[in-house]
Formats: sequence, structure tokens, C-alpha cells
Amino acid sequence: MPDVSPSFAARAAGDPVVTGRHVMKQWGSKVALVDATFDVQPGITGLLGANGAGKTTLFGMILGLHKPTGGELRVLGLDPLRAGPEIRAAVGYSPEYHVLPDDMRAHDLVRHICEVHGIPRREATARASDVLWQVGLGEERFRPVGTMSTGQRQRVKLAQAIVHDPALVLLDEPTDGLDPVQRDDMLALIRRVSVEFGINVILSSHLLEEVERICDAAVMLFDGRVVASDRIDHLTRRTESLLVDLTDHASEVADRLRRHAVEVEVDGLHLVVRPTDATHASGVDLHDLVRDAVVHAGAGVRRLGARRVSLEEVFLDFGDGHQHAHAGAVPGAAALGDTPPTALPIAGDALEAGAAAGGDR
Amino acid sequence: MSDAIVPDPVAVGSASRESAGARILDRGYRRYDGERRGLRAAVKSLAVQTMQRSLGIRRSFWAKVFPALAVVIAYVPAIVFVGLSVLLKDQLDQAILRGNREILPTYGAYYGFVWAAILVFVAFVAPEVLCTDRRNGLLGLYLASPLNRDTYLVAKALAVTGAISLVTLGPPMLYLIGLTLNGRGPDGFDGFLLMLGRTLLAGICVALLHVSLSFAVASTTTRRAAASAAIIMILLSSSIFAEVVVNSGGLSQNFLVFDILFLPFELVYRIFGTGHVDRSFAAMSTWTIVAAYAAWTLAFAAFVRYRYQKIDVTR
Repeated sequence: MPDVSPSFAARAAGDPVVTGRHVMKQWGSKVALVDATFDVQPGITGLLGANGAGKTTLFGMILGLHKPTGGELRVLGLDPLRAGPEIRAAVGYSPEYHVLPDDMRAHDLVRHICEVHGIPRREATARASDVLWQVGLGEERFRPVGTMSTGQRQRVKLAQAIVHDPALVLLDEPTDGLDPVQRDDMLALIRRVSVEFGINVILSSHLLEEVERICDAAVMLFDGRVVASDRIDHLTRRTESLLVDLTDHASEVADRLRRHAVEVEVDGLHLVVRPTDATHASGVDLHDLVRDAVVHAGAGVRRLGARRVSLEEVFLDFGDGHQHAHAGAVPGAAALGDTPPTALPIAGDALEAGAAAGGDR
Repeated sequence: MSDAIVPDPVAVGSASRESAGARILDRGYRRYDGERRGLRAAVKSLAVQTMQRSLGIRRSFWAKVFPALAVVIAYVPAIVFVGLSVLLKDQLDQAILRGNREILPTYGAYYGFVWAAILVFVAFVAPEVLCTDRRNGLLGLYLASPLNRDTYLVAKALAVTGAISLVTLGPPMLYLIGLTLNGRGPDGFDGFLLMLGRTLLAGICVALLHVSLSFAVASTTTRRAAASAAIIMILLSSSIFAEVVVNSGGLSQNFLVFDILFLPFELVYRIFGTGHVDRSFAAMSTWTIVAAYAAWTLAFAAFVRYRYQKIDVTR
């Protein structure tokens, strides 16, 4: 195998790290991936989907371990089936399962994986120590993996995935089994891996919140189909609605707004204000209406800004659309696979689509 | 890399000299633009690491017990026989002059003494190298490296063949060299080289069949204990089956090819050209023995490969 450093070319060029065009995968009669078309750009990309959605299958295909039943997949510009060893030399992988060799010291394991990826022994030894320091296991690096906590094992898995300076790291459910504090730490670490270390990351998760927090983009899988693939800030676009957090007088502010034919949801001191057709027809700015209502009610404002669609809403909407499509409930649903995922309508917020949203004030 | 910044005492007080001698040592993440050595290095690294682990190196005390036991069982007879040949040299020479046959075992017969060591190694040490990787998920990490399923198995086979050679090759070599240095070895340098070649071939042959059997069984389970029990059962039952069908059933002695317990040792006798492991084998041609040995080895190896092509490592 030639000396390959595809990482560096891909990083410099800013080309897509992974591209899939109509990728299909069947396991016997079970369809794991259907007509998956997506691009993974440099940065952190979340691979979202419920258990069994096809995330791990896609990882296996990226690593060249599974042959696609159809379509084309490119990883770092190479075909995984033809250039599997070259790709795997430049890719790090952290599997979902928690079991690692209990009686092996973390440093020995990380160094060994580094060597298997082609780094000379002396360099591998130094890099193993450095990377374990970077993931917060500096003092623990000579402990057997079996004596470590779940959080520490997840860090060991991350360390072995990045120790050989890969161009791309595949992290399969990296926060699985972690408590909230450990999860925050791990997410911050993954962000560092991408931003500071310059390594592209694909993070598989079924937790939308964590993907929304740290990822630059997301690929959403639903029942083997890619239902969305775009940057997070495009997916969670701003809407025409406003979020208003008040200090008091919430119901009075809401009443005043409703008098101007505005839809208002009240949740304690938290308001969601939506324009209606009548609001649009009157040409009144929603921000001005809120300002006036707040002043007249004598309320204080903690926050006022455009409401964004959460990733959870996006996912659920796409999921609903997909299910309707299969049930034949949505006209034109047969085109799901052929339509660029980002162009799919979002059922719940379709009314708001296309409207220009104002900035936070 | 060290965290310590060691100031140059001479430079203290002198800003220019301080800056000239200063070093910033950071434990930050470093890019690697050096050589990436590819598949061959990956195979070597995995083979070395596997051999170390199979021998219990850098592992707990209990992980060292079986390899150490196998090594002790294998080497003690060689040490004893060579010691006897040194201590009782004159008596042994006189016994031969009186017409008695050589008391020390032949090179082929020496394998009878290391049989137990080979069994311990094959049944208790070798399965671990495959079972454990599948049980603890390391197989997935390996296959996410330049290795693929075939090169992974090649690395593992090289490692275990190397490790098992400690008991199939090391003791006979020690025995040969010990006797030769004591003047009881083969005649002449040519004789020594011939015997050395036979010893190497015999050791490798015994190792290969046992490694392939061990891997075949280990590929069916992630539990080492289950694999160990199955290997012992297969070896013993194959021998019993062959014995029954040939001696009690009256079938052709060629059915002894099913005796995979003694087949490799009969091959060793044929390599050294001295007798048979059992008189029943005498009627079989050497080519039949060789063909049966090769068939069993290849069949077990093919089974392992088939099993590993079917394993889904990312689930």
C-alpha cells in the first residue's frame, strides 16, 4: 500500500469529506439504506437517526467494510471498495460498544492502534501519551482499561481514533452511557478535535440536542433514507415567529397582542408570537407590536428574538413526511428519494417557509 | 516529551541570552506528516502484539500461567536429556558399545515428550487470540485500520505460529544442538544441517495444523473456555473414531487420516524417517499422510476465512 496522507489534501481543498449518491444497502431482504444522497462537508457532521436507521451500516460502508448494493460512495475522494486500506489509514473509528481489552493499559492500546495505522513505533509511543493527555487521561494513561469508568473508556476510544492524525473520525454514539457532566465534557472534547486539531468528525447519535450543540451540519436518516442533509443553521432556520421572555405581566402582554390578530402561545413568562394573514395584510412589524404591548403592560423583557426551528422539530417533521410518504398520504411522496433532502417541505413550519426573519433585537 | 522548562543558569539576568536558550515545550496535539508505513507494518504490529499477549507479556499473572506451563513442559525433557548426555556421557557410550540401543530418544520421538505442551498451547493459549478480539470489540478497530479480514487473519496466524513454535520448534532444536555440542548429534556438518532442516520442517508442520484447528474452533465462539473444551474434544474424539473404525470396524487403515491427534506426529516421524507414532500408521504411504495433513490444514483455514468473511464487525 502506498504512503497515503489523503487527510491533508482533503483538508486543504475543502472538498466534501464524504459524498453519497443514491447509495443503497440491503442485508438479505432487509433494506438498510435506500437511495441515500448526501454530502459531508469538512467540520463536524451529525449522523442522526433512531436505532436501526442505518447509521452504523453507513459507517461500515465509509470504512469499506460493506459493499453498497447500489449507488456511489466517495470518502476523502476515494472509493472505499477499491481503496479501503488507504481510506482506513486516514480514518479513525470509535465504535459504539463499550468493551475494550480490560487487561490492556490505555497507553498500550492507543499506541498499538497508532502503529497498526502505520505510524512508526517511537512516534506512536509519543503520540499515544500526547493524545491521552489531550483527552484528559494524562495521569491515568498507564491504568488498565478495565479499571476505568465509562467516561474514561469513552475518552480512550476517542484517543485511539485520533492518535494517528486522521483526516476523518467516525464516532459512533460517543456519549452513550455518560452522565450529563461527562456528556458535556465529551461534546466539548469532540468540538476541540474538529476546531483545534483540524480533524473532520462524523458523529453518530440519536440525541438531537447534542448534535445541535456541537455539529456544523447534520445528515438525518429515517428508516434507511436520508431525509435531510444540510448545515445545522440551515436546518434550524429562523422563522417569522418571535420568542419573548418577560419578567412579568405575560398574560396582559398576550391579550394586547391578540387584539392585533396575532397568535400567541403563553408558557409562564415565555411567549411565542406568530403573525397571521391579517398581520401580514396590515403591514405591521411584529417587533413593533410586541414593543408596544410590553410598554403598555409595563412588563420587562428578558429576551426578544426570532424563533428558530429546533433540530428535533425538523427531524420529527421529516419523519412524519417520510411515514406519510410510505402510507401514500402525501402527494408526490414517491419523489422523496430523488428530491434533494434539503428541498423537502417541512410539514409543520411550511406556512412560515420563505418568509424573511428579522434579526435578534 | 517533557513538560519541564530547564533554564540555562548562565543566561539568567540576560534577556537576550534567555530568549536564545528558551524552549517552549507543549503537549498539544500534533499533526503527523511523516512516513505512514502501510499494510505490511500493520500486519507486523498486530503479529508482534498478538504474540506478546498470547505469551502473557504485559499481562496479569494468570494470563502467563498456561504459556509458562506449556514452555516448561516442552523444555524440561530437552534439558534433562541433554543434561543426562553430559553427566552420563561415558556410561551411555559404554552401553552403546555393549550393543544396547541408544537410551536417549530419537529426534522424532522427542515430540512424544512435548505432546502435552502442544496440547496445552493449542487448547488454552491459541484460541484466546481470536476469541478475545471478537468479544471485546478490538476486531472492529483492527478492521477500521489498513488491515482487512484476510490480512488480520494472516497476522494472527503468524503470531500464533511463532508463539507455538516455542514448543514445537524450540525444544527439539535445543535437544539437537545440545546433543551435537556434546558429541552425540548427527554425524558431520552435512548431517547436522539435514537434521536441522528436518527439525525446522517438523516443528512448523506440527504448528500449522494445530494453529488452523485452533483458529477454526475459535472462530465459532467468543468464549475461550468453550473453544478450549471443543479443541480437546475434537482431538480426542477424532483419534477414538479413527481407532474404532480401523481396529474394531475392520476398515482400511487409510481411515487413520481422520486421527488428527496423531496425524501431525506421524508426519514428524516420516520427516525424520524413524519409525511410527503408532504401528497402525505403518501401512499408510507418506504421500497419504502428507495429503491428509495438507487437506486438514487447508480445510480448517478455509473454514476460518469463511467465518470471518461473515462477521459483521460494525454491529
